[in-house]
Amino acid sequence: MTVDNRKHAQSESGTDSRFGVFAHLRSEHSDVYRRIMCVFVTAKERFHVHLRPADVYSEMLVDGGPVIELDDIGQKLESLEGWGNVRSDPDTSRVTAVEDFYRRRLLYQLTHAGDAAERALRTFDEALGRRGALQAVALADIELGLRELIALAADDHPDLGKLRNALNGLTARFTDLAENASAFMSSLQRSIDLQGASEEAFVAYKDKLVEYLERFIQDLVTVGASIAGLIKDIDGERIDHLLGMVASEEAADEAPDPDDPQAELARKNAHERWRNRWYGLTSWFVSADSRDSQAKLLRTRALAAIPALLDVVREVNDRRAGRSDRSADFLTLARWFALAPADGDRHRLWHSAFGLGSARHLTVDPDTLARWDADVATVGTPWSEAQPVMVSPQLRKTGSYERRGKPNQVTDRSEYKAMLAASAAEEAEQTARARQAVLTSGPVYLSQITELERPAFQLFLTLLGDALAARVPGQESAEVTVGDGSLRIRLQALPDAQIVEIPSTDGVLRGPDHIVEIVDAAADPARAGTESGAA
Amino acid sequence: MTDGPSEQQQRATRILLKKPLLRAVEVDAFRAVRPHVPQLRTWFELNTGWRLHADSDVIRLLKEPSAPDDPTRPAVDPRSKAAFSRRRYILFCLALAALERADAQIPLGRLAEQVMLLAHSPVLEGSGVEFTLAGREQKADLVAAVRLLLELGVLTRVAGDEEDYLRDTGDVLYDISRRVLSQLLASRRGPSTIDAPTLDQQLAALSAPDMFDSHDMRNRRIRHRLTRRLLDDPVLYFDELDEHEAEYLRSQRSAIIRRISEQTGLVGEIRGEGIAMVDPDDDLTDVKMPDTGTGGHVTLLLAEALAAEPDRVHSMAELHERTRRLVQAHKGYWRKTAQEPGAEVALAGTAVGRLEALRLAERREDGVRALPALARFAVAEPVVRGAGPS
Repeated sequence: MTVDNRKHAQSESGTDSRFGVFAHLRSEHSDVYRRIMCVFVTAKERFHVHLRPADVYSEMLVDGGPVIELDDIGQKLESLEGWGNVRSDPDTSRVTAVEDFYRRRLLYQLTHAGDAAERALRTFDEALGRRGALQAVALADIELGLRELIALAADDHPDLGKLRNALNGLTARFTDLAENASAFMSSLQRSIDLQGASEEAFVAYKDKLVEYLERFIQDLVTVGASIAGLIKDIDGERIDHLLGMVASEEAADEAPDPDDPQAELARKNAHERWRNRWYGLTSWFVSADSRDSQAKLLRTRALAAIPALLDVVREVNDRRAGRSDRSADFLTLARWFALAPADGDRHRLWHSAFGLGSARHLTVDPDTLARWDADVATVGTPWSEAQPVMVSPQLRKTGSYERRGKPNQVTDRSEYKAMLAASAAEEAEQTARARQAVLTSGPVYLSQITELERPAFQLFLTLLGDALAARVPGQESAEVTVGDGSLRIRLQALPDAQIVEIPSTDGVLRGPDHIVEIVDAAADPARAGTESGAA
Repeated sequence: MTDGPSEQQQRATRILLKKPLLRAVEVDAFRAVRPHVPQLRTWFELNTGWRLHADSDVIRLLKEPSAPDDPTRPAVDPRSKAAFSRRRYILFCLALAALERADAQIPLGRLAEQVMLLAHSPVLEGSGVEFTLAGREQKADLVAAVRLLLELGVLTRVAGDEEDYLRDTGDVLYDISRRVLSQLLASRRGPSTIDAPTLDQQLAALSAPDMFDSHDMRNRRIRHRLTRRLLDDPVLYFDELDEHEAEYLRSQRSAIIRRISEQTGLVGEIRGEGIAMVDPDDDLTDVKMPDTGTGGHVTLLLAEALAAEPDRVHSMAELHERTRRLVQAHKGYWRKTAQEPGAEVALAGTAVGRLEALRLAERREDGVRALPALARFAVAEPVVRGAGPS
């Protein structure tokens, strides 16, 4: 392997020696090489410059990857040296074992080019591998910034420096958050589409992602609402004035001469810029009539992402369920079916490969079973001598059981049916009576309603409730058709109405007096046309 | 019986034995089985070596046959109940291969295109597979395969009608269930990993058991094989068993039968020639005997003829002739089409098929012969009733 790598290294350096330090990426063991380089970079951050192979070995025991043997690491280091990523010096320190002495002992350190390559790779990883992360902490920062701003706004002569700091801080955090959110959304989409993510990585990643999403949604709901509240509390004019102050100061930096005609323009531009930022912040957190806030959209999107992610997990698992390439399996089966000599063989193949057939058993009637139980001697006798299962002569003659034995013992349910019919009839009659009882002879005062039976009173309450609910505030009267459409109630409020009481079996109904009229809708065709408007 | 399986567990076992692939949309059966999956899984694993898969969409008993020699359980067109032809089997497999590569949904027209493409795949070279799907008849074969996929739940119809596709007046859109698709093959080994030239070798390889060959493993395999046959097949004849199996069955017979009885409610009918696990509920089967209707009646009458001379091989011509006479004698009871000329061939064929499926008769080169269990049936003496309704 070493020889191989060296050859590789040489060919690389042959083309352009400057980029030899990237050669290890194209090696079969690039992951091991990257881990080794990572150890060097980390060591350098701790100001350890020289590392023995044994140091690298022990560091790599704890970096989470599979264990690499010390000898192997030695070989890999030699390869890296060949590519120019590291440089070796003889190790002159004392050893305590003979074999250590015979082992070729070297100290390795990063070369300049190797260091640069590693840094470039990290940048590359970050830029491409970056999964947008939503910082819940940004939300908290924004909330804090807003509180500070409110405190400053309350001051008649706020400290301009503090004000600028507060606004700049707020802007920076907000820009971060917005950028992150968009990166997050696109990376989420990438995950959901399973693009560029290996299935293993995805499965490992999804638990964390779902958990994270849930936490973030939680934060967005609570802190987001609080931020929206703060923004609403801030007086628009006052904020605009403050923004103007900061803008003036900025403009003064750009065009120091106040008489310069450019100065006024610069100030206006700066003010406009700040207004836009403020508007951005506001619209991010506060929903307006016509559109939802970004925060709300994000929340909806994140919520929807959870089931979508779980679907992906399911799909991945489904794909894994087939161990061999199922498509190839089915094609092979098609070939076998094609080549099988006879229909019977194809049926055998079907049964063996798919195993979808039903169990198949002979039957036995209870009488025969009882006889078998009584006569254990039948066990083990030939079929021709054992007691047979009897086939009905009727079936033998006609191919059907229809006239066998007594007619079926169908339970006689006429009694229950009669009971049901009677109770249904009674109910219907009760309803009709109640309906009759609540009809009024023309408009009457509520106080004129006399005691009603329970079903009638229930119906009356329903009607009254519907009519009251239908009455538009500010209007005196209401008319509504209720229930099955067979009754119509008109209600008219009275000025200075007395409180009236209507006694019933269930208690007393109290309320301001009204004029009420309940009519049979069928018998009241005159109003049919206006009904829809009133209801 | 004190701590044996509960009645619900028996019911769940029977549902799965009858229908080894259940989908969640088959609500009643699915709910009846779901709670018992852990116990059933253990039981099947121990006694038959069958795996039981269960997730929220599918419950699947991966039934491997006891011996790969059963030609009596073909795939059937759900509509006509006709056994699949060579073309239909091939189309079915090609459709599955296409679906395996498809997205979540597929229209029938697209599926047909994919199937045609796959028919030209190198795997099928030299197997004489030729599809054009040009005429209505050719398309009808694909539709039959699709109907089976619909019945199994691999596909769910979203819109359209297969008839429109046949008439060239429209297309049909389906959802594909990956879960069901992934549970369709019951074989332990993927066929694509098997390189065997003959069908028998292919079948043997599909269910090739693990290679360990200790005494325990051998015994377990024998137990699995015997239990599978008793659980799934109507009759187990002793003369089909090899020496080890016969020996094992002699010593373990009562234990095996007791376990099956407890788990399924089937009863062991133990005779000199073999064992039949019979069903007092007359439900755990796809072929009934005795059965009503023309088919059932012909079967019964031909069985009678075969049983009358149990040692003689009846030629098919002879059976056709007998059926023709039976048609004349029973035309009042049988369906109209039975009287059409040549109907006796189909009738006799179906009847023999049923007897063969139930292991009551066997088809040979030169005809049909009764198997011992056919003697278990006899026609009861007509009962003369008194005053009661006759």
